[in-house]
Amino acid sequence: MPKGEILAGFLAPHPPHLVYGENPPQNEARSEGGWEQLRWAYERARKSLDELKPDVLLVHSPHWMTQLGHHFLGVKKLSGKSVDPIFPNLFRYSFALEVDVALAEACCAKARDKGLVAKMMRNPNFRVDYGTITTLHMIRPQWDIPVVGISANNSPYYLSTQQGLDEMDLLGKATREAIEATGRRAVLLASNTLSHFHFHEEPALPEDMSREHPFDMTGYRWDMRMIELLRKGKTDEVFRVLPQFIDEAFAEVKSGAFTWMFAAMGYPQIPGELHGYGTVIGTGNAVMEWNLAKAAA
Amino acid sequence: MTIVAAFLVPGSPLPTLRPDNAPWAALVAGYKKAGRALAASKPDVLLIYSTQWIAVLDELWQTRARVAGVHVDENWYDYGDLPYDIPVDRALAEACVEGCRAIGIAAKGVDYDDFPIDSGTIVASGFLNAGAKVPIVIGANNLYHDFPTTAKIAAMAAQKIAAQNKRAAVIGIGGLSGTIFRNEIDLAADHVASEADDAWNRRMLGLFEKGSASEAERLSADYAKAARVDMGFKHFAWIMGALGGRFKGAEVHGYGPTYGAGAAVVEFKL
Repeated sequence: MPKGEILAGFLAPHPPHLVYGENPPQNEARSEGGWEQLRWAYERARKSLDELKPDVLLVHSPHWMTQLGHHFLGVKKLSGKSVDPIFPNLFRYSFALEVDVALAEACCAKARDKGLVAKMMRNPNFRVDYGTITTLHMIRPQWDIPVVGISANNSPYYLSTQQGLDEMDLLGKATREAIEATGRRAVLLASNTLSHFHFHEEPALPEDMSREHPFDMTGYRWDMRMIELLRKGKTDEVFRVLPQFIDEAFAEVKSGAFTWMFAAMGYPQIPGELHGYGTVIGTGNAVMEWNLAKAAA
Repeated sequence: MTIVAAFLVPGSPLPTLRPDNAPWAALVAGYKKAGRALAASKPDVLLIYSTQWIAVLDELWQTRARVAGVHVDENWYDYGDLPYDIPVDRALAEACVEGCRAIGIAAKGVDYDDFPIDSGTIVASGFLNAGAKVPIVIGANNLYHDFPTTAKIAAMAAQKIAAQNKRAAVIGIGGLSGTIFRNEIDLAADHVASEADDAWNRRMLGLFEKGSASEAERLSADYAKAARVDMGFKHFAWIMGALGGRFKGAEVHGYGPTYGAGAAVVEFKL
């Protein structure tokens, strides 16, 4: 078996508003559109993903939050209707996905080898979280690539940010080893928003874009600073200031997906491609790509 | 008297999913006693707040006439499924939506098929409302609502209950001390994670038993911080709001661990 590789990583945030704005047949809720800049950003990311032709998509989602270790979807076929408990008016999505169970098991085993608590989720009635589903829909609405779904252990919130992110670093390294050992050509999806302060009330028309803007200037400044560093490939500097970013912008990257993805990729010092940026209920969202296959060519 | 009973109960699904596990037996037995007490109070409706139904925009109220399905807990899926089928008092829930708006709190009804009911609501309903004979009203835990705001919402709900001339049992669903074990444990050896947590839990339960409502409320913030209490102990705020800040005492029907966290089944004396 040839050695597997990570083809690319995407920062792929999961506001359900993006699915709602797109009006795919899988979603019951209908909209007049909205959040176009982010949806168009995902269109560009979809095109890039299509060219990469990966065997598998791995997604780490903060909305499957687990207390006891890091969990992996471990049922071959999962389907159902996902209703977002926070935005049920926007997201009631019928999904069917195929899990790459062999890779998930390899990731789980490698994580355990590194001293992490890790578990396989084997219950066929399990409801996949809306963060996982939204990210997967936005990057690949055809649902024709097997996935590995990974929970966000609450360690960054329960312990300390640094302790938690240290765990995510190990999880990322374990993920890379599992991909290499199983011969997969993989794409990683970090399902994270950047600045995460948000409005507390929803407009009568959720897609009223006259009401959409950054929650505050502090968060916006931070988002631009981080994106600029990422665009320049200054990964070391990004991770140096990450704890400050998390504290001052309440950044959702605290939940670990971003660190997991970069650890798996080996913290490449290559420019990330910004497909687009926009806000959703005031939070900052960037769709970005680190194309390792292209960088190695 | 429109509030005819009040209970503080745990939302962990573990005692439901593994009732035969010895360290959880006290909670199971306590839940059963509380269920009998609730039935004896003959409520028309259960006014429920669960720390596990999380909202971030607006205060959400379940307005579906009947919520039914099979829920799988995102942490404890290994131990089985949680089927549920519970009627909702829509008239009261819709009054609570309007009532929230009248007191300056943005609110919305939730009326969607397949809406994911949280583990805590399902577990408490299963133990306290066997056969789902009594309709419920559920208000969400908005993460940005503090203890006083939560109490204010519950007080509003109690007024709506009075306006509709109903008898209600108020139920706050959530844990006590919040430190959980972060490694796999032998379930048969489960215990409250630390002596300090246990002491804090017992101190708060002692205040309940003595009817020291004001002292319990005053101590809640310190308790929440020191013992990492589930969601800032806002499930107690819910009870205090509905009861107008008063109770005469309490009976602790059961106390024990849920994977290191503290949990208790408490019936307040009104």
